[in-house]
Amino acid sequence: MKKGKGIQVLVPVISIAASFLIGCIIIAALGANPLTALQYLYKGAFGNVRNLGTTFSRATPLIFTTLCACFAYRCGVFNLGGEGQFIMGAVAACFVAVATGIKGPAAMVLASLAGALAGGIWAGIAGLLKVYRAQNEMIITIMLNYVATLFMGIVYTNWLRDGSVPQTVAVPEETMLPSFFGMRATIAFPIAVICGIGIFYYLFYTSSGFQLRAVGLNSVASRVNGFNVNKYMLMSFLVSGAIAGLGGALELLGTQLRLINGFAVGYGFDGVAMALIANLHPIAGVVVALFFAALRVGSTTMQTATGVPTSVSDIIQALVIVFTVAGMAMVKLPGFQNRLIARAQRKGAKA
Amino acid sequence: MSSFIANLILATVRMASPLIFLALAELYEERAGLVNIGIEGIAAIGSLVGFMISLISGRPGLGVLAGAGVGILVNMIYAYATISLCAEQIVYGMAINIFAPALAAFIYRVYFGSGSELVQANLMITLKQALGIQSDNFFVNLFLDQTPMVYIAFLLVIFTGIFFTKTRAGLNYKAVGEYPKAAATLGINVIGTKYLACVICGALAGMGGAYLTTCYSRTYVDGNIAGRGFIALAAVIFGRWSAPGVLIACLFFGFCDALQIRLQLVNSSLPYQFFQMIPYLATIIVLAAMGIRKAGPKSAGQPYRKEER
Amino acid sequence: MTVERAPAGGEILRMEHITKRFGAVYANKDVNLDVRAGEVHTLLGENGAGKSTLMNVLFGLYQPTSGDIYVHGKKVKIESPAQAVKLGIGMVHQHFMLVEAMTVFENIILGDEHSRGIFIDRNARRKEIQELSEKYGLEADLDMPITELSVGAQQRVEILKALYHGCEILVLDEPTAALTDTEAEGLFEVMDKLKSEGKSIIFISHKMREVLKVSDRVTILRAGQSVETDSIGDVSGEVLANRMIGRELKPSHYEKVQSEKENVAILTGVSYHRSSKHNGLNDVSLRVRRGEIVGIAGVDGNGQSQLAEVLTGNISPEEGSVDLMGSKVVTYDPNGFILKNVAHIPEDRNKAGLIGNMSVEDNLVLKLTKDSRFSDGKGFRLKWKAVHDYALALQKKYDIRCSSVKEEARNLSGGNQQKVILARELEASPDLMVAVHPTRGLDIGAARFIHDSIIAERDRGCGVLLISADFDEILEISDRILVMFEGQIMGEFSGLHPDIQAISVAMAGK
Repeated sequence: MKKGKGIQVLVPVISIAASFLIGCIIIAALGANPLTALQYLYKGAFGNVRNLGTTFSRATPLIFTTLCACFAYRCGVFNLGGEGQFIMGAVAACFVAVATGIKGPAAMVLASLAGALAGGIWAGIAGLLKVYRAQNEMIITIMLNYVATLFMGIVYTNWLRDGSVPQTVAVPEETMLPSFFGMRATIAFPIAVICGIGIFYYLFYTSSGFQLRAVGLNSVASRVNGFNVNKYMLMSFLVSGAIAGLGGALELLGTQLRLINGFAVGYGFDGVAMALIANLHPIAGVVVALFFAALRVGSTTMQTATGVPTSVSDIIQALVIVFTVAGMAMVKLPGFQNRLIARAQRKGAKA
Repeated sequence: MSSFIANLILATVRMASPLIFLALAELYEERAGLVNIGIEGIAAIGSLVGFMISLISGRPGLGVLAGAGVGILVNMIYAYATISLCAEQIVYGMAINIFAPALAAFIYRVYFGSGSELVQANLMITLKQALGIQSDNFFVNLFLDQTPMVYIAFLLVIFTGIFFTKTRAGLNYKAVGEYPKAAATLGINVIGTKYLACVICGALAGMGGAYLTTCYSRTYVDGNIAGRGFIALAAVIFGRWSAPGVLIACLFFGFCDALQIRLQLVNSSLPYQFFQMIPYLATIIVLAAMGIRKAGPKSAGQPYRKEER
Repeated sequence: MTVERAPAGGEILRMEHITKRFGAVYANKDVNLDVRAGEVHTLLGENGAGKSTLMNVLFGLYQPTSGDIYVHGKKVKIESPAQAVKLGIGMVHQHFMLVEAMTVFENIILGDEHSRGIFIDRNARRKEIQELSEKYGLEADLDMPITELSVGAQQRVEILKALYHGCEILVLDEPTAALTDTEAEGLFEVMDKLKSEGKSIIFISHKMREVLKVSDRVTILRAGQSVETDSIGDVSGEVLANRMIGRELKPSHYEKVQSEKENVAILTGVSYHRSSKHNGLNDVSLRVRRGEIVGIAGVDGNGQSQLAEVLTGNISPEEGSVDLMGSKVVTYDPNGFILKNVAHIPEDRNKAGLIGNMSVEDNLVLKLTKDSRFSDGKGFRLKWKAVHDYALALQKKYDIRCSSVKEEARNLSGGNQQKVILARELEASPDLMVAVHPTRGLDIGAARFIHDSIIAERDRGCGVLLISADFDEILEISDRILVMFEGQIMGEFSGLHPDIQAISVAMAGK
């Protein structure tokens, strides 16, 4: 089905183009030259090694939450709790890095593992409720996001507070993740990309991944054909939570260094959006996350240079998701499919 | 009655009101077979527009109307995508949840510039203030010291209950959510009903959002909906898709919210965040305790296609 | 109502040159039909002959690609069911259009235009309904929720609903398919009453006996085209049957056997939800031997689905035991049964048989991804090339028609979907095969292919449990026939010389 794949790429591309067009109209309405603004946007994201590093660095947490959503949705599980799992991962990592006294590479590894574990457990709560109490995982995971955010609040205002400032003590220098090529980005970025490739391999080249996808597409048929549906559902919660948790840990150790008000705000839903734009393909998800990060990084430069507020780029991002999801639904409509087939037949007749 | 309990009851009513708007929004939507998890986002844009219009005009009531209007507009995107394009409802609700708050944040930045969170608008006055009553009696406070929005919320519950159980239109409306194909064979306009549901839902969700900036807080901040849209989803499940049930659920969640605010004031030894967790934890616990009983409109979440083979 | 009463015997409906095309497929091609007032007009045809499509066109659910419809001699365009209802056309669909969460009363008054008031006038509506129900002998408890009614009672509600909405022409789409004989008799009585009141009935069926019994005239549809319209009395059943399928009706194509080989499955006193008449099993004992086909006959919804689910490990019985290949089953889970070499052709192929959004090749290797042929290291690295080659081989062997084995399974026609399932299940060389309605909704060619495959599998030594509500299918390939009624086995009959009379009686629970 090469045709089908073509359309799957075409829809997001057209959506992005349309979103940029609307973005340009907004920029023009705000009295700036859209082309100049876009130029600065591009320069800000990719203009030099430093900016590129910033883009990579901003993309890293988004890649993790995107992969979290991808993995869960592939199993038909609507985990909207990427943010909470990300935060719990960061909180666990923070305890290891700040409160245990362990430093250096050992602390990095331990903190990352603790983060993945915490994220997994946090998602596991929703998983258990879904599998054994048939509960709506969307509401539960969202509620757990708020609980996690508040819990983190307790950590930075009370338990690990840094003097009078409501933030935690910083991760010690020895435990900070090393960066590479002198960029702002740390090794968290390659780890994120490797995670993406690993999930791709798992989903499409292993029996277990195959079965997980089958469960996601049709759980009844999967059960009838002998797959342990509950096991896969629970696993998809745990693994997707662990991915987000690892992301939170690496974000703390590599970029943020402290827990503070506003840490990770919106990352969970952003991940969901990006996973959907990527059509749940993990590698496409990495690309989409990079694209969005570039928009965000570039928009700062755009703002300083042209005065166009950064929130324009948020609008563009939101429009991309609005258009992509609608577009994907549209191409699935029977009417559209029939037209497609008819056109293919006409072409066939001509040839 | 101790002032703690009196204040708690008064606050419960006040905190439940926005939830009632949002939960009724979802109820109308789900009764027509549409699950809309985007009401959090619609409430956000309703909240901002309500605030702005209230500030500009000086009339909070106008703000609420504007909130309803913008709610309808935004929900028409959802309506077109899910009803006409048959997009997955959950996925599209998520899209709305990302789009609408981004739009709200953008409008706020453009209109007010950044770093101006101190802009304050007038709040709606209560009946007691309007009548100039001085008494501080508990019952006077409970029944009269409320903004018109509170009365509207409770009247809407009564109206909704009658609509779904006693009227011909309500019966036909429910049939759309249960078995759209059967409804269509009886001459009920399925697509029209679904669009109508989206209009009602958008208006109510927008009003619920506007409540927060016209009756509760004088300012708008990003994220002020604070999950109420999602709690409303739980309230509809908890209330078994009926208007009285939704009312009880909203009062319960409103109580949790009121309780946490009161407890924060009373207790200062525990971190306040513990108390703030109460409404969210209560939602999880209530859902978990309800167990596996599944109910609700049969066709909720499923697209309706006309000529199907 | 504005619909004027046509003179008795006068033409009330005419459909001319109706053509309906889905993509490149003609479901109806140049079909003609005319119905007179006060007659029962049967549409006769095999599955897939286009009867339902034609009726959906009449009812405004489908728009005809071309052709005209006349009601009372006036040309009409029926764009929606609502319009059809306004024109006095009522329809009882095969799958009832009843809202389960509502009561009988609520279902009947849905969408009604009897009053313009805002509120439901329960007393007035009730009276109207009761009058109708008495007039036509359609009993119904108005306050019962639909879920608590039997199939026959639900059908009565459907007819009552159509009458309440003022129908003059009532379409009954295979109304007896899910009824017991007694219930069917009751329906025929109601039809007589309707006729005597001047209503016209379009009766859709492929059961020759009842067609001859109830019809005034018959129109035969074959492969989407109307063949001929005859008055009953002018033609014999045999002639009709031949016209319907376009060939001579033969007894059975297959040789029946009497297997003496060992048992592959033994059920002893199996019960499940014993009190449920329609969805339970009550003390069921049966055995399936190697090399035989045991057919379970019975009207749909008498516990057959539960029997299949027990025998494939999808539910565990509350009482009794199951022995597979000589050993007792301890835990009931589908995977355990698959490992014991039980194959399953499920009732609902889209819901339970296939992963519709996966490709044909994925579906063919669904249970085999850990097999060393298709992966290294027990599923650690899938060999997609091997999967593809295997799929191509099976595509050829089972004549699966699709544009490519990479096409999504949901895009295939029903017959080809069933072949995918059949290929997957048979390639495992099962010891026991549970086949539920294996040819439901398939065209003759595909059904024949499936029957051939099941017979070949029997001859290889597989024991087959065939569950089907299609009596002809049971007679066609079963070596032994068991009849199920309300969760119980009513009796055993030979497949070689089936006593049709006795079997029908058993199916009605007598």
